[in-house]
Amino acid sequence: MARFVIEARPERSVWAPIQVSLLAILLTCIGGSFLFMAYGVAPLKGLEAVFIDPLRSTYGIGEVLLKMAPLLLIAQGLAIGFRAQVWNIGAEGQLIVGAIGASLLAIQFDGTTSPLLLPGMIIAGMVGGMAWAGVAAFLRAQFNANEILVTFMLTSVALQLLYYLVSGPMRDPMGFNFPQSISFGPSATFPILIPGTRVNASLFLGLGVTVLALIFVQRSLAGYKLSVGGVAPGAAMYAGFSSKRAIWLALLISGGAAGLAGVGEVAGPLGMLQRNVSPGYGYAGIIVAVLGGLHPIGILFASALMALVYVGGDFALLTVGVPNAVTGIFQGMLLTFYLACSFLLTQRIRRITPETVPKGAPAE
Amino acid sequence: MLPKSLKTTLTAVAAVTVLAVPATAQDKLKIGFLFPSPIADVGWSAELNHGRQAIEEHFGDQVETIFVENVPEGPDAARIMNQMAAQGAGMIMLGSFGYMNDGLKLAQQRPDMTFIHASGYKLAPNLGNFQSRNYESSYLVGMAAADVTETDTVGIVAAYAIPEVVGMINGFALGVQEVNPDVTIKVVWLNSWFDPPKAQESARALMAQQADVIYSLYQDTPSVVSVAEEEGVWVINTSSDMKDYAPNWLLASQIADWSTYFIESTQATIDGTFEGTAFWGGMADDTVDVKSWSSSISAETMAKIEAAAAAIRAGEFHPLTGPILDQEGTERLADGEVIEDGAMASIDWLVSGVETRIPQ
Repeated sequence: MARFVIEARPERSVWAPIQVSLLAILLTCIGGSFLFMAYGVAPLKGLEAVFIDPLRSTYGIGEVLLKMAPLLLIAQGLAIGFRAQVWNIGAEGQLIVGAIGASLLAIQFDGTTSPLLLPGMIIAGMVGGMAWAGVAAFLRAQFNANEILVTFMLTSVALQLLYYLVSGPMRDPMGFNFPQSISFGPSATFPILIPGTRVNASLFLGLGVTVLALIFVQRSLAGYKLSVGGVAPGAAMYAGFSSKRAIWLALLISGGAAGLAGVGEVAGPLGMLQRNVSPGYGYAGIIVAVLGGLHPIGILFASALMALVYVGGDFALLTVGVPNAVTGIFQGMLLTFYLACSFLLTQRIRRITPETVPKGAPAE
Repeated sequence: MLPKSLKTTLTAVAAVTVLAVPATAQDKLKIGFLFPSPIADVGWSAELNHGRQAIEEHFGDQVETIFVENVPEGPDAARIMNQMAAQGAGMIMLGSFGYMNDGLKLAQQRPDMTFIHASGYKLAPNLGNFQSRNYESSYLVGMAAADVTETDTVGIVAAYAIPEVVGMINGFALGVQEVNPDVTIKVVWLNSWFDPPKAQESARALMAQQADVIYSLYQDTPSVVSVAEEEGVWVINTSSDMKDYAPNWLLASQIADWSTYFIESTQATIDGTFEGTAFWGGMADDTVDVKSWSSSISAETMAKIEAAAAAIRAGEFHPLTGPILDQEGTERLADGEVIEDGAMASIDWLVSGVETRIPQ
């Protein structure tokens, strides 16, 4: 009887991760072409609208950079956890709590001109995100509760908390009952980097975290312990590395980074707290982390690409008239193709017939 | 998550969206439209879209329209407006309250463009807003609700507690009390324009609390209307005629027709005479009306309703005429006093007799 087995490819190139990403992008473009054809749009025109048009104007580039900042932050944080096999799926919730934390300060100290307000908001947002992820870390470390479920479900809780706060305690008293906070003053918002765009200084938070992630992953002992704990828990234990510490560290880092992304939104393009804080950055961040091969530099490029897809989706909407669900479909295709390619580049499927079973193979 | 019929509609709508293509001629006025929910066949966005179609019909080759549906009231709305501006739009229609601040920012940056904004309260020389005097038709349907209720309980599934919605609830409650002062009015604040599953849940929750008339207030889909038909409960809705979704149990549909205002604003933009003012469209100018009255409403009440409608059209009667007490029992309007438009635009209190409070 012939059967199929999946086995690791014996040789693996150091370039494999990059090949996988490029292949996934290529396949997404092909898949996208079919999508555009279904809507009666010439595929090249559609792809041009998504991938090229946003980069033709300063404003468009600014929008891409604006979207890139939160994705970069979230993905860098998540990747550190993912390398340690700690699966934080709830960055969206941590982002929301971070946004709430920062907004609390902005509302409390409305009207101040103190230069300390914005740094305070940054810290409050980070602490908020860490606290939200910390709940999952505590439950996992103490009771071995699955962090995938806990972080994911806590996102719903965060969302309801946000809805409650903006409809009540944190609502603008002069805002005619519309569920949003007051508009934040200049001392509670990030300065604009490029005039005529909405890109603001929160992009530096993302770039700063990228540098820190690079140092952490490549140079620090803590980073090393973290990935050993993830890849080989037995070896980590033998070496005396605490798995509990790894869980705490991974979740606090990713939660804090997501919280920072929340600060970037409320103190950036939103300038207030409202019900729509994030169009799903927390989930897109997962795709960015994976697409970037969980490597800080890879993530830098992946976040730029994902931001381009977000903005390009809107451009496609207006120039070629496809529905805005295109953005979501492109994101989904990127992740699916990446996972498939990455599997097939590291593993292979082999058909085994009785004749090809190598000698000395264990009998079933 | 969405009902199947809605999904089919969305797909059809998506196919229609393809028709929106960029301009070629320079002298054409390009008008951009932002809709907060999918356009679909009926509902708020569908009625705004009818206004867009009316512009196209009226102006023909002089204008070109582009539109984006289902735009969340967040940072993406700003980008879509800016893109429309960058693509040469000379006028933009902002179809939801939550686009106000971003719209105002863009209006200030682009004095060469004009903007019309639905139901907001901020103005600029080149940004006007449009409100409907829906409280007028709410008063009429309220009278009908009081006529048919047997449990003396009516439930409202309301979007946001913004002045427009609060004003409509007040108009409705006063209409109810005109016919039957003993009716209890309960409200569920949905805090969304477009959330069909939650709207249906809320409607069911109100039914569980004895409500036998449900008022679907600014739900952009027929979600509540179909649940009422399913359960055999009277239902009233806003924006479009939804008779097809509840042939047996629809009590009446409040409708809004923006064609006249949209055409006037477009003409003013073309002529360069646009002014950022607040437009209030009511029953007198046919912006607001009620359609599909159920034949189950008693002849006596129907005659009262028709008399009230005629008085409102003639400008002889305003539903918010004192004496009116609020929920705390404070007198808001003295005997014979009529509320002013300014106070209506910022109304934040509910009349006594409405059980639920405005979320604090």
